[in-house]
Amino acid sequence: MKRIILLIAGICAITSVAAQVQVGEGQVSGSLESNTIYYMDDSKIGETPEDRFGSNNYLKVDYSNGRFSAGIQANAFLPVLQGYEDLATGHKFYLASKYIQWQDDNFELMVGDIFDQLGNGLIFRSFEDRQLGLNNSLEGIRGLYNFNNYVQVKGMYGRPRLYTDYADTWVRAADLSVSLSDIFSWDAALFNVEGSYVNRNQSLSLDPMMDFSTSGLTNPNLNMYSGRVNFGWNGLSLRGEYVEKGKDLAATSTTATSGNALLGEVGYSHNTFSVMATFRQLDNMATRLSLYDSGIGNTLNYLPALTRQYTYMLANLNPYQVNTEGEIGGQVDACYSIRNKDDRYRYWNMHVNYSTFYTLHASQTERGKNERLWQDFNFDVERQWNKQLKTIFLYSFQEWNPTHGYKHRTYVSNVFVGDVTYKFNRKNSLRVEAQYLWSDEYEGDWVAGLVEYSMAPKWSIFFSDMYNIDLTKTNYYNGGFSYTHNRTRVQLSYGRNRAGYVCSGGVCRFSPAYTGFNLVLTSSF
Amino acid sequence: MMKRLLSLVCMLMGVVSLSAQQLPDVKIENAQGKIVSMRSIAKGKPMIISYWSITCKPCIQELNAINDALEEWREEADFEVVAISTDDARMKASAKTIASSRGWDFICLYDDKQTLKRAMNVSLTPQSFVVDANGKVVFSHSGYTPGSEQLLFDKILELKKKK
Repeated sequence: MKRIILLIAGICAITSVAAQVQVGEGQVSGSLESNTIYYMDDSKIGETPEDRFGSNNYLKVDYSNGRFSAGIQANAFLPVLQGYEDLATGHKFYLASKYIQWQDDNFELMVGDIFDQLGNGLIFRSFEDRQLGLNNSLEGIRGLYNFNNYVQVKGMYGRPRLYTDYADTWVRAADLSVSLSDIFSWDAALFNVEGSYVNRNQSLSLDPMMDFSTSGLTNPNLNMYSGRVNFGWNGLSLRGEYVEKGKDLAATSTTATSGNALLGEVGYSHNTFSVMATFRQLDNMATRLSLYDSGIGNTLNYLPALTRQYTYMLANLNPYQVNTEGEIGGQVDACYSIRNKDDRYRYWNMHVNYSTFYTLHASQTERGKNERLWQDFNFDVERQWNKQLKTIFLYSFQEWNPTHGYKHRTYVSNVFVGDVTYKFNRKNSLRVEAQYLWSDEYEGDWVAGLVEYSMAPKWSIFFSDMYNIDLTKTNYYNGGFSYTHNRTRVQLSYGRNRAGYVCSGGVCRFSPAYTGFNLVLTSSF
Repeated sequence: MMKRLLSLVCMLMGVVSLSAQQLPDVKIENAQGKIVSMRSIAKGKPMIISYWSITCKPCIQELNAINDALEEWREEADFEVVAISTDDARMKASAKTIASSRGWDFICLYDDKQTLKRAMNVSLTPQSFVVDANGKVVFSHSGYTPGSEQLLFDKILELKKKK
């Protein structure tokens, strides 16, 4: 109880300041995020953690004065939430990032923990995802120079963060972007040619128990190259990237192999019609920060699933997990809106999406033939009838492979969603969701529902339930409220949460089932 | 441990006096794929800035609601609306598809590296800001419930009265 009071006191202290603060000529701004769970006994889902209390907290503070800025981020796990044990054991308080930066019109210099991405992130991305417990920022130096928007060069050097510490690795990166459309003054078009180089250096003799030469890895340097083209003209856009990667040892492999990737995208939009098609091929592209460690935080590049991300519970039950050993596929996304010229409160929004992926090499599969990893055909129709009423219908046909393509067997599910929002007046509204998942395989049928009543702009109360009809016959209920005051939002809920995967960047964190109270607070000043 | 966190907060609280944040001058991608400076977007008009992403349903609800009311609002005040997508490489293409088809009558920008999001200390979406004609953030609001878009316009009207 003492810990809860202390936590609330700390939160109140921060949220009492609801605007940016002036220090001398400069200003201080910041944000706080706190996610706290009190775990309860629930025989339906397994054992309760020994420490019933878990709290992950992030405080970020920045100072800026003209072209100069600096900042820090402190993380406190009091103790760490269940499921994030790879991040820290028990209680941990540490400085997660710090930086100082000078930004001029044409150049920029930064020293500290760097968050950046080259191209589409296929060879380098340093970022923070708190839900995933991922922060692979690069502690070092970055310089950028821009010449009249014609040419931009960027260089970075540093060691990457690995969970609460740093990897014994040095990363250097260079990036060049040439804007042909600016050079030749093609005002109506965009035409960029870009290239990047990344080097990861790590001694292969840090652990006498590990002999990398038996896996065919003898070079401590890993080199990766990327070439890109971006073109845009009159509603048409084209994007391409090709990547080569030197010999590297993946966490799941015993033999070092070189890799490559290809990404192509074409898009077209005209008035309220828009379509985008993306193709991607990945061949041995999983790249670790350190050869001596594992886990989802140990990743240097970004290989996300190119599939639709849903906001509905049942459509998200079994998300696609990228096969970084080898996959080929893509997605098509199209939207069309029919709008009433005389009444902005009447329109139809239609959205169709299809994605599919296959294994790249026959050697990845049991049958010696390439197998389907994933398929999703889905559409949704949104109708705004008038100022008060809006309805959405969504259908998704999903086929997924539980063995990541090793076996031929796939599971199919059909998801149906109805979503209705009714606004009683300017402040009060009700939203109701009804969902059904129909499947003859895996866990069989599911049903789910949600009711949410909002009193704008401060209060919202909600209750949801998800029930497996055929196999586990378990309810996953959740109810709570949220309160918002300007930049501060507090949400308190109680419920039973299903175990599942939270995925980002080709890595997925397994989130264990739990029942308990969850307090989420976010604020900025 | 908690004491250290609280000490840090108290130190910050001890040296402060309230003022408004200046809009950071971060480079960001526009709908045509060109890199533009955030301050070049301002053009001396007040702005509503709204952060959104494909997986944030209330964000899209908020932008739709702003778009529905925009015609009426613009009859009363001259201002810009800027929607900033925080979708990364995974969803940026879908975000562009949605933004172009919805008939959103405002400026759409793409912060796929989340540099502006970090600079403005946005830890959850939806998050909206009202910025005055001098680029100072005068109001911000987290979350969205149907009807709360009116708060943003009320702040724009307050700015108009102060002129």
